[in-house]
Amino acid sequence: MSEPIIVFEDFSFRYKSQTSETLHHIDLVINRGEKILILGPSGSGKSTIGNCINGLIPFSYEGEITGSCTVAGIRTTEANIFTLSKHVGTVQQDSDAQFIGLSVGEDIAFSLENEAAPRPVMLEKVDTAARTVGMAAFLGEVPYDLSGGQKQKVALAGVLHNDEEILLFDEPLAALDPAMGMTSVDLIDRIHREHDKTVIIIEHRLEDVLYRHVDRIILISEGTIALDTTPDELLRQDILKEQGIREPLYISALKNAGVTFGPEDHLSDLETLDISRYRDRLVEHFKANEPTLSEVRVSDETILAVEDVSFRYGAEDVLKNISFQIRKGERICVIGKNGAGKSTLAKLLCGIIKPRTGTIAFRGENCAKYSIRDLGRMIGYVMQNPNQMLVKDMIRDEVRLAMELNGYSEEEMEKNAETVLKMCDLYEMRNWPVGVLSYGQKKRVTIASILSLRPEILIVDEPTAGQDYRHYTEIMRFLENLNREYGIAILFITHDMHLAIEYTDRAMVFTDGELIADDYVFRVLSNPDIIERASLKQTSLVSLAAQAGLDPEHFIHAFIEEERRHRDDAG
Amino acid sequence: MQDDRLFINVKPGKTFLDRLTGKTKVRTFFSLIFLLIATWDIRLIVPLFVLFIIALISIRPNWKKVWAVLGFIILVNIFNLLLMWLVEPDYGLNVVGGSTVLWRFNSFYMISAETMWYFLVRFTKFMATFLLSLVFIQSITPSEMAAGLYSVKVPYKACTIVSIAFRYIPDIARDYQNIRISMQARGLELDPRKASLMTRLKQNVTILAPLIITSFDRVGNIANAMDLRGFGKKKIRTYYSEHEDTKGDRIMLPVYTIFFLLFVAVVVCNIVTHPAYQVWCPWITQP
Repeated sequence: MSEPIIVFEDFSFRYKSQTSETLHHIDLVINRGEKILILGPSGSGKSTIGNCINGLIPFSYEGEITGSCTVAGIRTTEANIFTLSKHVGTVQQDSDAQFIGLSVGEDIAFSLENEAAPRPVMLEKVDTAARTVGMAAFLGEVPYDLSGGQKQKVALAGVLHNDEEILLFDEPLAALDPAMGMTSVDLIDRIHREHDKTVIIIEHRLEDVLYRHVDRIILISEGTIALDTTPDELLRQDILKEQGIREPLYISALKNAGVTFGPEDHLSDLETLDISRYRDRLVEHFKANEPTLSEVRVSDETILAVEDVSFRYGAEDVLKNISFQIRKGERICVIGKNGAGKSTLAKLLCGIIKPRTGTIAFRGENCAKYSIRDLGRMIGYVMQNPNQMLVKDMIRDEVRLAMELNGYSEEEMEKNAETVLKMCDLYEMRNWPVGVLSYGQKKRVTIASILSLRPEILIVDEPTAGQDYRHYTEIMRFLENLNREYGIAILFITHDMHLAIEYTDRAMVFTDGELIADDYVFRVLSNPDIIERASLKQTSLVSLAAQAGLDPEHFIHAFIEEERRHRDDAG
Repeated sequence: MQDDRLFINVKPGKTFLDRLTGKTKVRTFFSLIFLLIATWDIRLIVPLFVLFIIALISIRPNWKKVWAVLGFIILVNIFNLLLMWLVEPDYGLNVVGGSTVLWRFNSFYMISAETMWYFLVRFTKFMATFLLSLVFIQSITPSEMAAGLYSVKVPYKACTIVSIAFRYIPDIARDYQNIRISMQARGLELDPRKASLMTRLKQNVTILAPLIITSFDRVGNIANAMDLRGFGKKKIRTYYSEHEDTKGDRIMLPVYTIFFLLFVAVVVCNIVTHPAYQVWCPWITQP
């Protein structure tokens, strides 16, 4: 049973371009048939471990290796990537870029084409692999018409037919909405069980991966293995938060209530976790912290009023009769699955497209008369990928750019730039080149460049996509501060339920172009009907509350308030 | 919705030409284009021209787009001929071998029957070439093109570059759109009524910087994905999109072979007889 298939022995690695090692003295054994989660914050070296297993190191990324890494009996330094790819199938994070073929069938066949397999063999294998992942009906589809989840399934099918013993998933959840993420975790689990594979998942979204059983979790911290243990044992400890990993919400809720866990608790699965022993503590803690609605601060100064707005592309209605208002200083999340109309809404608000019917009014003035440029001074739009926004070499120039384009005077520019740079905690770095910044810092620069025009509303598209909990917290606290100190209303377009719960007060839920809910976050997220219609994921807090016999809505509200108090105390 | 982007088909169509293999399409295209380039004989060009029109109709293209492009090409061609005439009104003397004046404006500018004949041949030839390319582009998918090029001994790494380029052009176009929108929201003026051409050109260059950076990120990911699935492992390669020969392919095999032999014949004939005048003309006898 326990036959080692991947063995790291005193393994260290340094990228050629870097001065210090990314991995230090890793000793790790993975056995055939195991399902492993490699967990760690970004920059911890967890993806580097993955690249050592699939051979990208040293094949594509040069560097200095000491110690040894053996995969399926082959020393990776002595093999080439092609030999390794027969044993290790890799599904990468960017499901779009790794889709090389011009159709589903072609992409699944890519490795067979490279093997020069005869076409009849290819057709049969492609068909089998597509069936396994449930894409057999889509073989002729082109990548542009597929969702992120479907592309990921195709990527998985593409590495199934060579009987690779090892399947490696590099951040499989990064680009998926919550419901798709669950489907993906489920699919990986099914393939692991039915096809007798060794599965390695590299992720930082612990709770989502634990939706299905995992044998072992390896926690990576700063290039070393911090912990190598079972999920139950990991959750019992308090190491996660200090390592910058989001603890599952139900675990945080139980820990908040002062529950201590014993070795017999199966913490990793809420469904089999026997909570009867904690129920009293939980209920008692809840009663002591029961929140009131008055705690939510809402101004009555309306900034933006959207009235009965519809929009269509061609014959397709993408937004249907949408009405809502945004008041000063509000924090709103716009949620819904991909294609529900979220980004169309953002484009409408920024004036990039005009509504077919209905009106959008900014402080009582109809926006139809404003150009994109005019609206840019009232409503700022921060795109998901900061690399798509940064055009200047120097931080200071980047921040001044929008003002230059809008014809501000020199003194105004200097003054505003200084204020904004200070607001965004970038003043010390103002003369740094943009190129040397981390992803999170770049994000801050893009926000600063937008803020320089002093918009009253900020639309932020997926602010934390691809970020681990530490960077996520950094970005979100920064935005929270902007909201609190300067009264800027923020609209978060996201499918991250944690973000919605922790950092927003109001949720607008879109499904098929309709606004199906617009209410307090905790009310929306505890409504099973909305959750289902919008393909969202039920938060574990709802199940926990149900098991404890508490009202989910109030329970979530209490949890949110308590977490925010903790956060305020900490910072 | 996305089947016809940038005039390129991504999904294979259903007509006779669409159903052929990439190999047949590429080989037919090459033998015909060589033949067209080699010949100046209108007795050969006109039948081909008619054939291409039939072929174009047979693939049921999007006529609105075809007419737009066709109109543009016709205009460019006529303009080109006009310029040629302005520079050398007696062009026909050298290539056709005569100068029968039909109309004289002054000592330099005149219209000769031979020049007009040459222009007619040239126009037909160029339009035929264009129609052939149009039919080819409209009936082939990038994957079939890669497979077809591979079948005429182009190294497969080069073939793959062709299909990869078509695969990612729409993605890059989308990135460009996004970047442009975000820059406009920051105050970039791209409205032709409000900004001069120079300003707009300069500002479009501003957009290129982030576009190049995001594209480089993508290229890295693509390269890794290809390595991980064994691209470049062997010297040979097979193609998923290259289906087995159909009846149509068996019919086309002698057809393109004949065209290719015809091309060889035209070239050999030219070398052997070495005619004094390039362009055949009914009323001129070659010396």
